[in-house]
Amino acid sequence: MNTSDNSTLRAQVRRIVGEMSPLGAREARSEDRLVEELGYDSLAVIELSLRIEGEFPLADLGSKATPDITTVKDIEDFVDQEQVTATSDAA
Amino acid sequence: MTMTTSGLVLDVTETAPETNAEQRGRLANSADLYRRWERQQWAVAQVDPARDAPTWSALSPFSRDQMLGSLGELEVGEVTVTHTLGSLIDAPPTEDDRIFLCTQLADEARHVRFFQTYLEDGCRTSLDSVEEGADYAEVFTPELTRATDAVRADQQDREAWYRALVYYHLITEGVLAATALRTTRFLARRLKLVALEEGLTNVTRDESRHVSFGLRAAQDGVADGFGQVVGDAHFESLGVAAWVLIGPSRHNPVPALPMALRSRAAQLHGSVEIARERLVKQLRLVGLPELSEKAGAAWDLAVETALDAYAERWNAPHPIRAAAA
Repeated sequence: MNTSDNSTLRAQVRRIVGEMSPLGAREARSEDRLVEELGYDSLAVIELSLRIEGEFPLADLGSKATPDITTVKDIEDFVDQEQVTATSDAA
Repeated sequence: MTMTTSGLVLDVTETAPETNAEQRGRLANSADLYRRWERQQWAVAQVDPARDAPTWSALSPFSRDQMLGSLGELEVGEVTVTHTLGSLIDAPPTEDDRIFLCTQLADEARHVRFFQTYLEDGCRTSLDSVEEGADYAEVFTPELTRATDAVRADQQDREAWYRALVYYHLITEGVLAATALRTTRFLARRLKLVALEEGLTNVTRDESRHVSFGLRAAQDGVADGFGQVVGDAHFESLGVAAWVLIGPSRHNPVPALPMALRSRAAQLHGSVEIARERLVKQLRLVGLPELSEKAGAAWDLAVETALDAYAERWNAPHPIRAAAA
């Protein structure tokens, strides 16, 4: 994935995360913490995950260990990594 | 970040004791519960389910599906109990029991009306779409019907009456309905479905009286020599109860984000644990504490069996297992 696609993907992730914030739609920054700053609770995180999965083709993680997610950047990295992986698998 | 429900909603067995006898630890009797029924009336029209329609229409697909699944199971359960309670009313141990059970039948009818009205006016959805495939109807209704038919067949058969009591009051209402009401009320509050939360609070208050009746009747039955059938009926029915709770026929998406999967698994596992706790607590309350540990183990095994069935049905792990992997 080239740099331009990567930044577009990350911007899209930030837009979705900000749009779905339980505190009301807002602009999300990469350094924002999901719980403390954007008000995500357990239900909102589930809804966010399902929305992200609907927007981006993600690999089947199976039993692969994944890093914990606490910030918006963590989600950007996750989608970037898993989408790249899915694209590679398809190639 | 788990969505637990402890301390947030009133549980059916956590109503404050009203009489001196209750405060001494004895369960309320039928006469006490009848008087409580007279004081705790409510009307579906006053709840006005239609006021949730705007909020409902803005829910995410996931939240809407979860709610419809829960409401569908609750509605089906309530309809079933209105069809089967009659046999328990025909041959109870005392006249006070009969009078109370008549009030319960009125309550169950009101619950059916509430859920049907809410689904139609609040959710703007058809009953057929939520009733179809409800696990309670598929697996538990036949068992409950069999138990209550046995009472109808021989009104002198006291063992049959206590067996049906356990299936009805202690497992259907005490374990399944109480768990579903607690978690659904929590979700209604979180989603700001004001009418639903109000209605479910009223239903929970009614169910608290019903479960209290079941506990006292079972306790009296154990004291009168029917402990074997009361215990056996628990073990006969907990397998299908676990099946209804896990719901192998309902698809449960496994979120990709790890924190979301953990939250989802915790939410679902929380329901399983609430039900288990109620099952074990009820056995102690009716005078069968020696069965608690075995019942807990049997419940755990039944849950695993239902999780296996889910994996086979969907060719994928249930979120509870996916998170544990």
